[in-house]
Amino acid sequence: MKATLKVINQMQTDDVIEQYAIGGAVGATFYLEPVATLDIDVFVSFRKATGRSLISLSPIYDYLTARGCKTKKEYIVIEGWPVQFLPPGNALGEEALAQAIETTLDGIPTRVMTAEHLVAIALQTGRAKDFARILQFIEAGLLDSDKLNAILKRHRLLAKWEDFGHRFLRGKK
Amino acid sequence: MSNRMRKILESKRAMRKQLASLTFSEKVAILEKLRDRSLLIASSTIRRHRSRHA
Repeated sequence: MKATLKVINQMQTDDVIEQYAIGGAVGATFYLEPVATLDIDVFVSFRKATGRSLISLSPIYDYLTARGCKTKKEYIVIEGWPVQFLPPGNALGEEALAQAIETTLDGIPTRVMTAEHLVAIALQTGRAKDFARILQFIEAGLLDSDKLNAILKRHRLLAKWEDFGHRFLRGKK
Repeated sequence: MSNRMRKILESKRAMRKQLASLTFSEKVAILEKLRDRSLLIASSTIRRHRSRHA
C-alpha cells in the first residue's frame, strides 16, 4: 500500500488531483482493528477548471494508464491495490475531504477521514457493511459525540441516526 | 450468558482493542496479509466449484 500511496501523492504533486483522503475500510483501519478489504476508497478533489461544471475522473485514468496501471471494473490497480477514486459527491463528502487528518504510513504522508466523518458517510451510504462499521466505531468508544452530532445535524442525518439507534442499539446509544 | 461465553467475549474485546492500538503502519501490514488470504480463498477451486453449484 505504501507504493500505492506514493503514486497518489505524486498525482497531487503533478496537479492531477488537488486533495485526497482515504475513506472506507482502509480509513476505518486507521482507528479500529484491521478490517479485511480488497480495495482502497480514495476521495479526491480537483482544481476547478473554468467553464466546466461536470467533474471528470478521466485525467486520473489518463495519468495512471499512461504509467502502466490497469483498470478493473470501477477500479484502477495501482501497485497491486485496486483503488476507487471518488469525487465527494455532496457537502458531507466535501467536508470530510477538507477536514481529513494528516498521517503517515511507514513515513509516506497521507490523509485519512476523521472517525466521525467515516461514520456519517457510512450512515448516509446505508449498506449492511456500513452499519456494521458504525457499530464497530461505537463499541470501540472512538467517537466524539459532540462532533458527530454537529456533522449529522449539518448534513440532515439526525433522523437516519435515530433510526439506526432504534434498529441496532435499542437505547444503548 | 454462561461464564465461559462471557470470558470468550471479553477476550475477543481485549484482542480487538489491542489490534486497534497498533500504529497505522502495523495495522496496514495486517490488512495486507488479510487481503492476500482473502484472494487466496477466493481463487480456491473448491470455493469456485461450490459457488457454481450454490
